[in-house]
Amino acid sequence: MTSSVIRTEGLTKFYGKHRGLVDLTFEVEAGQVVGYLGPNGSGKTTTIRLLLDFIRPTSGRAEVFGLDARTDSLEIRSKVGFLPGELTAYDGMTGWEILTYYSNLRGGVDWRYAESLADRLELDLTRKIRNLSKGNKQKVGLVQAFMARPELLILDEPTGGLDPLMQQEFYRLVLDAKEEGQTVFLSSHVMTEVEKVADRVGIIREGRLVLDEDVATLKARALRQLEIHFGEPVSLDDFQGIAGVREMSVEGNELKCTVAGSVDELVKAAARFEVLNISSQEPDLEDIFLDYYRESEDVA
Amino acid sequence: MLLSSILLKTIWDQRKTFLWWAAGVSALNALNVFLYPSVADVPDLDAIFESMPEAISRLFLGNIESLTSPEGYLNGQNFVVIQPLIFLVFAIGRGSGAIAGEEERGTLDLLLSYPIRRSRVVLEKFAAMVAATLALGAVSWLSMAIPALAVDMDISLLRLAEIHISCVLLGLVFGTVALGLGCATGSRGMSLGVASALAVAAYFVNALAPLAESLESAQKLSPFYLYIGADPLSNGLDPAHAGALLGIVAVFIALGLALFDRRDLN
Repeated sequence: MTSSVIRTEGLTKFYGKHRGLVDLTFEVEAGQVVGYLGPNGSGKTTTIRLLLDFIRPTSGRAEVFGLDARTDSLEIRSKVGFLPGELTAYDGMTGWEILTYYSNLRGGVDWRYAESLADRLELDLTRKIRNLSKGNKQKVGLVQAFMARPELLILDEPTGGLDPLMQQEFYRLVLDAKEEGQTVFLSSHVMTEVEKVADRVGIIREGRLVLDEDVATLKARALRQLEIHFGEPVSLDDFQGIAGVREMSVEGNELKCTVAGSVDELVKAAARFEVLNISSQEPDLEDIFLDYYRESEDVA
Repeated sequence: MLLSSILLKTIWDQRKTFLWWAAGVSALNALNVFLYPSVADVPDLDAIFESMPEAISRLFLGNIESLTSPEGYLNGQNFVVIQPLIFLVFAIGRGSGAIAGEEERGTLDLLLSYPIRRSRVVLEKFAAMVAATLALGAVSWLSMAIPALAVDMDISLLRLAEIHISCVLLGLVFGTVALGLGCATGSRGMSLGVASALAVAAYFVNALAPLAESLESAQKLSPFYLYIGADPLSNGLDPAHAGALLGIVAVFIALGLALFDRRDLN
């Protein structure tokens, strides 16, 4: 059998006439970190709420751990840690009290681990929720989601409100979870964030999945800027007709261009000359995502 | 310890409001009982009572014979209007907040992401409402019983307990209506408003039935009639009436469970 942790088939949700999610067929394999990207209102939270049986599909179905998301939800939820998009916790309770309550609802957790999570996130658990900043509330939510070391983490906009240092710590938490064999499904509207931790990316727009790709493949396909410094002057003609090369310019000993996909052919062409240095920027996946954003704006 | 279940946490969360309710009810009850000896000494009070138009006395004092007997006094002062009002407002508040309250505050999603059945949340919230309303009933009984002993009021403490049980059941009927509506819709304001409106309607159906023939058949269905129609303070709890109140509670909790399980969370 397959090792899918999440699998949906034609999953569709309408709120009355309002579109929530349309015909989502998607799979998340065990041990993967999958980023689920989309602008606000695109259907990310709808997907998550369907997986957790908060809402019921109009048609199609979802399976988690091979179990039906609708009928076997209880068993599914015993193995899932969830971070809601907007964390509203009981205002009058301290972090400790909230974590104690949630831990009891699960039948207990490893407290030393919960404490270590709070330490890593520099969260003061003795303060009442109402006195915490948005970022600190978010940390309570994160500790809550991670503390039981669940097999599957479902995180809705996990870095909302976190400062950059804490975001880095969050990425490390996710990578640690991955190392432990946990599966992570996280939604976001920022590609750079997903790019840092995810093995795979799904982009959703207006309720429909428009892209589902490995991050590595995506990077390979993405445009990257390349600068080559030669030991002698070169001319544009020496580099004509190379697949994937765009916006090429030559100034004296220096060639600049943008390459889509593999740089192999270009490098081999350059090797005919003395090459002093090649510098390449990491491909910017945000551009890919923004292309989908723009398309969606055009449609709207 | 107190955070070990939804039931205990709910009770713990509401401890402060409960204390205020308990203090208010106790003060009111004690005041009324301590005033009784001076009222009982007013010889003309019963004459005034008898000269009142029946419509007025029915509406505000209920079906009582005398204002100066201990039962008549407590029924007129407490059990016809004030005590039901207190228990209704208390229980409807708890009921409407139980599910719809968590839902509107946005804490229900996270709660239900844990391995807990929706029905368990409803039942524990219901149990918390029952426990709190019973506790308020006990406070109300004690705060009447102790002053009654102090002023030598000739009243059966058992009967006093029985009318309180009836009062708790009345509160729970509409509290459960509110809880059930919250389960079905997720709207706290709506469940609070509709349950309160139904309670007011039930009050008037019972109070006005003797004056309007068209209401006569409806009266027996009014939870207010089931609460006080058999005068539990004088005659003890009517098992059929109490059973009917419990039956209404059971119907609405069952409806709430079924509807909550079927719908999307907001």
